[in-house]
Amino acid sequence: MAAPVYVLGGYQTDFARNWSKENKHIVAMLLEAVTGGLEATDIAPTDVEVAHVGNFAAELYCMQGHLGSMVLEAEPRLSGIPTSRHEAACASGSIAILAASAEIEAGRYDLSLVVGVEQMKTVDPKTGGDYLGTAAWYEREAEGIEFPFPKLFGRLGDEYDKRFGLKEEHLAHISAVNYSNAKRNPLAQTRNWYMTEEHACSTDKFNNVIGGRIKVSDCSQVTDGAVSLFLASEKAAAAYAKRRGLELSKIPRLLGWGHHTAPIEFDAKVAESRDNPYVLPHTRQAILDAFRRAGVADVWKVNAIETHDCFTTSEYMAIDHFGLTKPGESWKAVEDGTIELGGKMPINPSGGLIGAGHPVGATGTRQVLDAYRQVTAQAGDYQVEGASRIATLNIGGSGTTSVCFVIGV
Amino acid sequence: MNEINNVVVLGANGAMGGGSGEVFAAGGCRVTMLARTAEKAAEGVAMAQGLAKSERIGDLMTTGSYDDLAAAVSKADLVFEALAEDLELKKKFFAEVDRHRRPDSLVATVSSGLSITEMARDRSDGFRRHFLGIHLFNPPNVIVGTEVIPHAGTDPDLVREVVELLESRFGRVAILTDDKPAFAGNRVGFKVLNEAALLAEEHGVAFTDYLIGPYTGRAMPPLATVDLVGWDVHKAIVDNVHANTADEAHQQFAMPRYMNDLLQRGHMGNKTPQLGGFYRRVKDGKQTRNMVLDPKSGEYREATASPVAPVPFVEQIKRLNHVGKYKEAFRVFAAAEGDEAHLAKRVILGYISYALNRVGETEVVRSARDVDRIMGFGFNWAPPTVLVDLMGVETTTRLLKKNGLPVPAVLKQAAQRPTARLFREPNVNIGRFFAG
Repeated sequence: MAAPVYVLGGYQTDFARNWSKENKHIVAMLLEAVTGGLEATDIAPTDVEVAHVGNFAAELYCMQGHLGSMVLEAEPRLSGIPTSRHEAACASGSIAILAASAEIEAGRYDLSLVVGVEQMKTVDPKTGGDYLGTAAWYEREAEGIEFPFPKLFGRLGDEYDKRFGLKEEHLAHISAVNYSNAKRNPLAQTRNWYMTEEHACSTDKFNNVIGGRIKVSDCSQVTDGAVSLFLASEKAAAAYAKRRGLELSKIPRLLGWGHHTAPIEFDAKVAESRDNPYVLPHTRQAILDAFRRAGVADVWKVNAIETHDCFTTSEYMAIDHFGLTKPGESWKAVEDGTIELGGKMPINPSGGLIGAGHPVGATGTRQVLDAYRQVTAQAGDYQVEGASRIATLNIGGSGTTSVCFVIGV
Repeated sequence: MNEINNVVVLGANGAMGGGSGEVFAAGGCRVTMLARTAEKAAEGVAMAQGLAKSERIGDLMTTGSYDDLAAAVSKADLVFEALAEDLELKKKFFAEVDRHRRPDSLVATVSSGLSITEMARDRSDGFRRHFLGIHLFNPPNVIVGTEVIPHAGTDPDLVREVVELLESRFGRVAILTDDKPAFAGNRVGFKVLNEAALLAEEHGVAFTDYLIGPYTGRAMPPLATVDLVGWDVHKAIVDNVHANTADEAHQQFAMPRYMNDLLQRGHMGNKTPQLGGFYRRVKDGKQTRNMVLDPKSGEYREATASPVAPVPFVEQIKRLNHVGKYKEAFRVFAAAEGDEAHLAKRVILGYISYALNRVGETEVVRSARDVDRIMGFGFNWAPPTVLVDLMGVETTTRLLKKNGLPVPAVLKQAAQRPTARLFREPNVNIGRFFAG
């Protein structure tokens, strides 16, 4: 049995902000996330022993590497602590959490700061789309292709269509649910945007095709944002709880994790899973591992899911891979309202990547922070009533790196 | 109050008509867009579609001319007036609405500062009880700050319900203000904007926009903002406040003579691109020539790449904002010396003082939170208490006194607990207000 890892809370920046318009350096995002997190948790900076940063491509977007070290710029009292930066495309934030939690399990440190951060509005959408292409096998799948990722996730939809059939209206409904949830989230990027299922079903000048079956309404956003999280050993969590007069048993823990990698090329993934009931079996395995480690029998033992919906097709995939339906029958959970707030298994009460926003390297940390908020009844208008256990799924590339967590009390 | 499902927008083709149509349709209402002609009203629908980035939002909208007013109003849960800012015109329409409205329907004006009391005069008791101002800012789908302005005869229960509804269903951040000229947001905002316009006469346009620029806590420099709003709108607001109030900043509401002269010759800012306002962008084939107004001569000069000699304290603050160190930035601001620093302080401290002095039983709003919310969510300016928090209550108070500005009651109270933060609005990143 590994030593427990506690989540003490954290901070999310407003994902509607455009930090380039504000003429801000990426260090300003790190600073706001770190100082906001210290304030929200009332943790003394001198208690923080180590910092991990999740980030995808600051070298491209911001001409800035070595982000681990930049955490120190945020707060002088962090001076000298060990730092590092982690990258696994859109799963970078979760990888940073895994690294931090492994150290706590190993007994190296008691209190760890994790920051996910991405500044993406520094470049025009086409250039940004090209940078994102480096999360695929760039030379084979992205070079010279405009917006490669919508096309790759369009092909995920095509694969579902080929194997099981797929209707546009189900993807449109997924989009509408995420936007609708985001309206309840005061930090969501699209909280004031207009979206309906009818709009998501239309193809017109406002909802044009980006690639294959993927339209604007199927996509997550280009987002600037940072999220901090504090992870603690039982010793540090007990001290934290005592200072605040809380019971240790009420502090959320990372109950389980799963982490698998599929071949980076999309064609190789599909070839590999040809005879498997699941289109992305490694993603399925990451989920099963997390459930097993958490001692969770199946998906119905969690109260909600924060999943990776970089496109509507990825959420469609997550529904059957989590086991809400049999493989290929995700549409049933879409049609019967299961995934809606108030449904049997709300997916993305926060609005997810489509509604809340997708600052690539911050997404995994945002999901875990939202899970923390849910299980501590601090999610405000998007609270899932009585939530005590939440699962997250964070995916890098076209289903390449999958990380699943179960967070609960 | 009945449920609001059918809305009639009067003046549907104006910026606020199209914008408010979007807000109500996005909240799920069926909206009847009325203008002089159905074709004009269709422009409002197109505008709403553009704001929502959706053709489908138009499915909830129908269009008509004022010939259809009686029939439309008789079925409406809410009649929303977004006509030109002309009191007599509005009153004429309200008389018509009064004749045809259902006894329980709500009637609201989007006016940005005309007297709600005056609009309700001569109307039936039922109309008066159900009438209030709902001031949206442009573009309302993006700018969520909203003022709700009852007059003395508005049903108080209804006012409460309207505020609740605007927040829960239409995504607004709503504050209650008294029916005083320009209400709260424009009263405070245009005091600063007109002060900048007055300063521009002596210090030049580019320099004023640089000195009171985004680094001081605003999305856009003040004179560029006036160009965006339109000089005609600016004049209507400051003239109204100047004529109908007599507060400590009375002189700062006097429209500069040079602006009046140019406005008479048709200069209205961005809406008259050939003539321009403070700035003029002349398209010359593929090239755009950027010109800037010289207020003294009324002529436009070629804008140079760096029109202003950098001021060291401004550059230092911008560098600190750039890396997220807002507190240090305002420490530099508070300590800055020299003519430029004094000028910038006069305006920024004047904003803090004037805004927070509008709080009180006989003033425009009841709490500092109201003025904070409308400046933050309506103007995209740093709320006044955010600036106080950054500089500290003691330093702010000392600087206000040094500049001969009245110290607001809220700061006197705060002096008892000088370390407590004044700005407590949840989920607002204060960093977003300060540009690098």
